[in-house]
Formats: sequence, C-alpha cells, structure tokens
Amino acid sequence: MNNQTLIEAHNLAFAINGNKLFHNLSFSLTNGEAMHITGDNGSGKSTLIRIILGITNQTRGDVENNLSKGIAYLGHKNAVKNYLTLEDNLILMELKGHKDLKRYLEILNLKKYSDVIVANLSFGQQKKLALLRIFLNNSELIVLDEPFVGLDKQTQKILSEFLNNELDKKKSIIYTSHIPCKIESKVLNII
Amino acid sequence: MKSLKLEFLKLKKKTRSWLGPILVFWLIMIAYPLTVELLPENLEVGFFSVLWIATLISMMLATEDIFLEDFNDGTLEQTIIKTTSFSSLVSTKVFIYWVLIGIPISILSFIFSFGTTENFDTSLMIFPLSIISSYIFLNLFVLGNALSLNKGSVLGALVTIPLALPVLVVLGKGVVAIQFNINFSGFIFLLLGCLSIIIVAVPLVVSYIIKAHLE
Repeated sequence: MNNQTLIEAHNLAFAINGNKLFHNLSFSLTNGEAMHITGDNGSGKSTLIRIILGITNQTRGDVENNLSKGIAYLGHKNAVKNYLTLEDNLILMELKGHKDLKRYLEILNLKKYSDVIVANLSFGQQKKLALLRIFLNNSELIVLDEPFVGLDKQTQKILSEFLNNELDKKKSIIYTSHIPCKIESKVLNII
Repeated sequence: MKSLKLEFLKLKKKTRSWLGPILVFWLIMIAYPLTVELLPENLEVGFFSVLWIATLISMMLATEDIFLEDFNDGTLEQTIIKTTSFSSLVSTKVFIYWVLIGIPISILSFIFSFGTTENFDTSLMIFPLSIISSYIFLNLFVLGNALSLNKGSVLGALVTIPLALPVLVVLGKGVVAIQFNINFSGFIFLLLGCLSIIIVAVPLVVSYIIKAHLE
C-alpha cells in the first residue's frame, strides 16, 4: 500500500447464514478519487460500506487504510434525534459554531426550522439535516449510502456539486446510489 | 467532557426517560404504607426491603432505552466510526443516567427514610448505601440491556437481576448494622469495591456486545 492510497481491499468476501453476498472483491482508492459501488438490491453494497467503515467484519480478505483525518458517513439511518429541535441536533452533531453552518442552513432552506422539533420536519428535511454532517465535514474520506434518496432535485444538484468540489480538494468519496448523479467516479460492481 | 455535556443534553430533553423511573420509585414508596395494615411504628419493619426493591426496579426501568434509540436511529454507527474508545462513551452514558436518575432516587430514599423512621442519623446513613447501590444496579442492567438490545431491553435487564441479588443481601445487612448501631462502613467499602470492578468491566463488555449487535 503506497502513500497515495487511502483504502485498499484484497479478496474481500462476505457471507451471511451460508449465503455468499460477494467474494474476491479487490479495489483501491487514492486521494481525490471517487468510487461508485453498484449492484442489485441485496447484492451487499451497504454491507461492503459497513466493512470499509469497520462496523461489520468481512468473512475473508482484508481492508487497509491510510486514514488520518477520519471518515464522514451518512448511511440509511439519519442519526438525528426526533425529539430534539434542529438546533439541539446541531449541538449533538458538534456542528454548532462551524463557520459554514449558517451558509448551508440557508442553502438547504433549514434556517427557519431551527426551533422546530425534528419529528415535525419532513423526511427530506431530516435528510438535509443529516447531510450537514457531510457538508461540514473535516474528513479525508466521505462515505455515503444512497445519499440522494428523499432529496428534491435542487438538493441533489447541490450535493453532487459539493461532492465534485470535495474531489477537487483531494478528498475521496465512496458511495452507492440508484439515482443517477454527475460525479466523476470509478465503478465497483458487485455481482 | 464534551461527551458528558452532549449525553446530558440528550437525556435532559428526553423527560420520559429520566422522570419515569423517578416517578415509579416515588409511587412505590408512597403506595407502601397505603397497602399494609400496620401501625406507623411498625412500618419500619418492611420499609427498607421495599426501598431497595423500588431502587432496583427504578434502575431497571431507567436503562430501558439507554442504547435502543441510538441503535435505531444510527447514532451508534456514527459514534463507533468517530470514537476510538467506545467503552468510555458507555461509561459516560451510564454516569449521566446515574446523575439524572440515580442521585434523585437516592435523595428521595433519604427523604422517605426520614419520613418513615423519623430518625435523621439512620436516614443519613441510608443515603450512601442508596447512592452506591443505584450506580451498581444501573451498570448491571445496562449489561442486560445491551445483551438484548434488539429483542426487548427490559427482558434483557431481567436476565441480569440474579447479579443484583448479592447487592440486595449486602444492603439488607447494611440496614441491620445501621439499626443495631454496628459499624456499617464495612458494607459501604464492600459496595464500593463491587462498584469499582463493575464500572471498569461493564463498559468494556457492553461496548463489545453493542459492536456485535451492529454487525
């Protein structure tokens, strides 16, 4: 694994209850590179992401990383607290006081909901709140599992543009998406 | 320090989670004299047994959703990715629950003890027993809760009740020592000894169990 490589996986395999999801999967990701994981429903895309994140253990193979600044991750679950206000959630997400917070709250049209209990926001608005974790990240790797689901066209465009900008800043991205998006990326297809 | 503040904010805003166990404790202690036909001076006989059992039940209820909500909404995943020491987060969470639930229950224990025994010194000695035992119970039930995280957490807490039984025995002996004016500090040290082992071991074990659940 050379210095430029951020993540490298060798011969990854995962099986659950005797059912093989994928096997002999190898890939590497360097700084400023994006990887789009594709595959049918149930092919193991989310599982692969969880293996990369270290949440799930692979059945075989290994994943190495050169990460020093951590990972910004948004999965199927938004990790926001429904019983708290948007503002309280920002405190919990440790984003309160971030220099770009105000700008992104305006861009995502969330500013007027600061005092609203998150349970009273729509699914899309909750997703936008969760996305702030990505927009205001300070990590070198961004991992997203179906990030465009539940977002309107405008926000999808904002997210795509943001991710392309992050690539220009030499950050790396791993994502899954069934919704077409304009991100320059290599494709890892799971069969 | 930051995680302490954040966990405090989360629990403080979740009124049902911290007020519920305190109210259950309060209701049991209020109901006790109403349900027995005893002269006021005889109430003391069963009072301390009810007090410890009420503490035990309240602590069991307190752990009901200590991890479940974070598990369901994806917060635990985020925490595991970010945090290097997940066990220290478990310790923090348990500590905050003890501060917001265990300590008020210990204060109520003192008040109810004084109300029943009308003896300030006895009630004052009950306070440290209550404060230590509530922390021990909380840790034990957190273990049970983690074991059955996605299968009904109270059921899991019930599994760990046998671990709490020796603590109840020590508490009973402690009360006898107080009532007979025997030096009861040995019981305090015994409970502190148990607590010092539990507060180190439980977060470690719980963090492994939760990681296994997330897999």
